[in-house]
Amino acid sequence: MSEPQILDSKWAKPAMSEVVEFYHTAIRKLVAEKFAASGKTWQEAVNDPAMELTRADFEKIEADLLATGYRFTMSADVSIKEEPEKYKPIAGVGNSGNQIMDEQGRMVVGTGDNVFQAKDVEGIARFIGTVDVVMEMLLGGVPEDTIAIIDDSGGTLTAPILEGFKAVVCMGGTTRSHLGILTREYGIPCIMAAELDGLGEGDRVFIEYSKPAGDAYAERDEAARVRISKIA
Amino acid sequence: MPTKLTYAQMQDMNQWLRESSDVFYFQCTTRTVQESKLFPVNPYIALSYYNCWYRYPELLRKISDAMSPEELGDRAREVSTSANAIMLGIIQQFYLGGRQYLLDMGLINATDGLEDVHFVLDFAQRVNRSYHRQSSYNLNSAMNHRSQILPERTLQVFEADALGCKPGDKLHQAVVKYLATASQYAFLKNCECRLGIHNSGPYKVGNHEMLVRDFVDLAEGDYPWMDGVASEIEYNNVTLPVIMKDTHFNIVDDWGSFEATPAYDHDNMVAVGLYTSDYLSNGYIPVHMNNASELADYLDHMRDQMQVATANLWKRISGWTRDQMIDAGLLVYYSVAKDLAHFAGVYSEEDWFTVEDRVQRLKPIMNDEYGGMAIAELVGYVSLSSQQGSPYTMSKFSNAPGDMWSAVPYSPLANDEFTAGVGPIRGGSTSLPRKTAKYTTTRGKLTADEANALARGFEPPIIEGPRRFYDDQWVKYHVGTPEADDLYRRAQESSIQLKGKGSGLNASDIEALRRW
Repeated sequence: MSEPQILDSKWAKPAMSEVVEFYHTAIRKLVAEKFAASGKTWQEAVNDPAMELTRADFEKIEADLLATGYRFTMSADVSIKEEPEKYKPIAGVGNSGNQIMDEQGRMVVGTGDNVFQAKDVEGIARFIGTVDVVMEMLLGGVPEDTIAIIDDSGGTLTAPILEGFKAVVCMGGTTRSHLGILTREYGIPCIMAAELDGLGEGDRVFIEYSKPAGDAYAERDEAARVRISKIA
Repeated sequence: MPTKLTYAQMQDMNQWLRESSDVFYFQCTTRTVQESKLFPVNPYIALSYYNCWYRYPELLRKISDAMSPEELGDRAREVSTSANAIMLGIIQQFYLGGRQYLLDMGLINATDGLEDVHFVLDFAQRVNRSYHRQSSYNLNSAMNHRSQILPERTLQVFEADALGCKPGDKLHQAVVKYLATASQYAFLKNCECRLGIHNSGPYKVGNHEMLVRDFVDLAEGDYPWMDGVASEIEYNNVTLPVIMKDTHFNIVDDWGSFEATPAYDHDNMVAVGLYTSDYLSNGYIPVHMNNASELADYLDHMRDQMQVATANLWKRISGWTRDQMIDAGLLVYYSVAKDLAHFAGVYSEEDWFTVEDRVQRLKPIMNDEYGGMAIAELVGYVSLSSQQGSPYTMSKFSNAPGDMWSAVPYSPLANDEFTAGVGPIRGGSTSLPRKTAKYTTTRGKLTADEANALARGFEPPIIEGPRRFYDDQWVKYHVGTPEADDLYRRAQESSIQLKGKGSGLNASDIEALRRW
């Protein structure tokens, strides 16, 4: 078969995500067009530098998607800093207004899976989501009583200041994520996969880290999740 | 012209491809999506796969021409370097990831690069089989997630020379703090990936279990971004054999991660040691192990150095452009086979820290969302069009009609069209500064040329000549012979407790001799 095989794949199906499907379909189409116009066999064409897609081809494919109004979801701080026009704005923590109260009458503003069983912690919620915030704390010190609210289950963003946190609430990952591994090694109380509702910067919170560690392999159990209660 | 591969060779290739596909699926889906607010992780992972596809065939042939895959595995097994279970087991995975993306984009067909695919997979399988010779498996997963790499002669030294500790004492506190700091430093210098951390074991020590914990590439060495910030880190690779009571390590997986029952608790640590080693060392070299106080002081000293290095490296990285972060991360992934080049004495920065032009061209589409979804679809959902199979089929773990890595069709044996390879390495570049510092080794700080020359002339005395083939099965029937005693004495050369004792020691002898 002297042509790109993917076009004839018997069990083909669209990719799951819109962006992958758009890109790969566009690339396949371009490959097929170039190949058809070349008059070469596939064997001749496949490693021929003159036949290869170029950086300009890939730039055009991305531009075509952006031209539809599509904007990407960011993951790294640097990406949105360098090309803000390509990315969706960052969404903050929402506030449904439907929070329940704990046994002490405090508003429960989130839950999460405990990395390891520790003591309950009370402290000040501070959002650590950008390089600038980390740099400020690296140079000026981590404020006392900081419970870091982090939307990144990795271990690198907060690497130089992690030891300064009283506790951590991570809005992603699982107890097996890098941040979970590191907080356990440091003995810093931590919950992962936290879902927050109504938590704000500077809120004083109580977190029940004394609950048993979460089981990364088990089905989600609401009753087993650690609660974050807002004190003030 | 038909392929020069035989039907049997192609079957071996597809068997290893499928085994690799299944174990990688298991590893990826029992983890979470890797992410970082600092690094664009998934875009760099995806790009690394392409770099492997285009460059591994030539670079692994270069290594193989200098040293056989079997000898590379044998050398790697005797020391702790980045040629360990995680990195060796992943060589073919990243390469096949590049193939799968290119298949899905229609840039190659399933019979393209046929002889390259066979070579790379065969090379990786042979290195892994040799590295895992002690257990006779090829991956930790094949041994039900157990990583028994080391022979008795090495483990006896680890057990006997370990220093006792208990919660609250100086050594225990130093070890706990060091492990935390080293883990964090490892994630940062490896751009968020866990390739700097490795564990093997468990090994039975009476009623206890030993986990051998390695941290690799810590000092000024292959990663150019470590120059300057890691100048005070004395050892590039460190190994801590940690002996635990009341703990069973039920999983030590293909990525060197462990899980224990009950959960790992530092309070159960009863003894520990500290060693360094590399491709130029004769096995493991003890580090400040004369007594517990000396070891604790040195661990604290290393920890202080790493904390400074972490802060300085973080400041450096936080000033990088996105392109620099992408290049660093993709080069960490792509360079998983780099230490094999060191063992073979053919290492070159240009080979292992260059992003090929055929990969550079793909950068415009590698925004955060595409990178994330492309990785999720490839290794998690197995939802790319090219990954799908007949609706009758059920894959090993997911039961879905598709597999992570598509097998190679056998049709080239019937004169179907194919291409042999991707051709020679082309030009490339990197947005990162090139290295200026020397390479930290157990023989001092060396230039790449000096390190290569030493490696080419080095045959570790422990496995010199016929000793290479004196495995534990041979020892079983030759204990006390001059050859066996000579083998063990070579492994005991730096041992505090066992120097010169030979091959006849059994478990009770070691228990009587050990320091804890």
